[in-house]
Amino acid sequence: MNYFILNIILALTWAMLSGEINLTNLTAGFFIGYVILYIARRALGPSVYFSKVIKMVHFLGFFMKELLISNVRLAHDVLTWEFHMKPRIVAVPLSVKTDAEITVLANLISLTPGTLSLDVSSDKSALYVHVIYAEDEETAKREIKNGMERWVSDLSSQEKE
Amino acid sequence: MTFLNTLSFGLLAAAFILVVIKMFLEPSRDHRILALGRAISLDLMATLAIGFITLFAVVNDKKLFLDVAMVLALIAFLGTVAFARYLEKGK
Amino acid sequence: MFAQILMFIGAFFMFVAALGVARMPDLFMRLQSNTKSATFGVGFLLLGAAIHFWEFAISIRALAILIFLFATSPVAAHMLGRAAYIAGAPLWKGTLSDDLKGQYDYKTHELTAQPEEQQPKPRKTGEKRTK
Repeated sequence: MNYFILNIILALTWAMLSGEINLTNLTAGFFIGYVILYIARRALGPSVYFSKVIKMVHFLGFFMKELLISNVRLAHDVLTWEFHMKPRIVAVPLSVKTDAEITVLANLISLTPGTLSLDVSSDKSALYVHVIYAEDEETAKREIKNGMERWVSDLSSQEKE
Repeated sequence: MTFLNTLSFGLLAAAFILVVIKMFLEPSRDHRILALGRAISLDLMATLAIGFITLFAVVNDKKLFLDVAMVLALIAFLGTVAFARYLEKGK
Repeated sequence: MFAQILMFIGAFFMFVAALGVARMPDLFMRLQSNTKSATFGVGFLLLGAAIHFWEFAISIRALAILIFLFATSPVAAHMLGRAAYIAGAPLWKGTLSDDLKGQYDYKTHELTAQPEEQQPKPRKTGEKRTK
């Protein structure tokens, strides 16, 4: 059974029982339904639905932290007179393969400050990234591969918990 | 309208002025690179406008203005993308 | 009061983005400043607005604006960066290495991936590429 559809049915039920179908009730119902499904997950069979969401929350935390740190760094660089930047354009070999994963990865790389994805090679094997703070090339590549790409491939994998 | 809000408005206005000045003072000689530099400034101006509208909505306590910001956030990038595509292809 | 402080932080980051766009020495770094600091600043402003109104419909609206921005601004940055590289925008003289050099086919705009064994040689930067 698809957990997501179950969850939506639970949300609708909650909203109907509350007497009014509006956005507030539906959202509250969705969260309550999620908790109920989490409690009942043994009876309904394993699914990636729960581990995925927990991972997603972890990822959001990681992303916010990255965003804050490097924005402050960039702001410091812009506001002080001289530049401390060490920009490079590096080719990051890709291990994620599908178009959707590459799109998400490129967008996330562009959003984390200090890195900007410029282009994907035509055979989808390398992503060209402009990095502002790159002391040496291998470290910059490793940071992108171990940071963002690991998260993306983790989140898109279809393993059961 | 408190002091802090005035200060925020001032910062955003200063940002606008800076970007406009930068738009007129592009250093490049090549016309494509010049146009790209201006496209970057225009893109930032769209984002600044979204921020400005949000601030305006809060200061004047008008929720409706957030809808304007939403529409702007949806369509602002289309112009930039079209512009970039044109500059990439065209001569 | 808390909302106002958040909005001030947001406005400050947007000002930093504008200053970055005005000051940064090459097109790619200006793009970086544009995409990141500006999006970050709008995020703070919207958070401030959501706290100020403190209403579910408004929070959802602010979240929607943020999601639209986070989905669209990297696309715009990618298109501009790609066009800038193809147009031959000069890199800053402090740029340390450039893996993209020589990888584009300027007729078809096809991009080859770099073979693993052929490591990039240190190149002179700050010059304009020829097409």
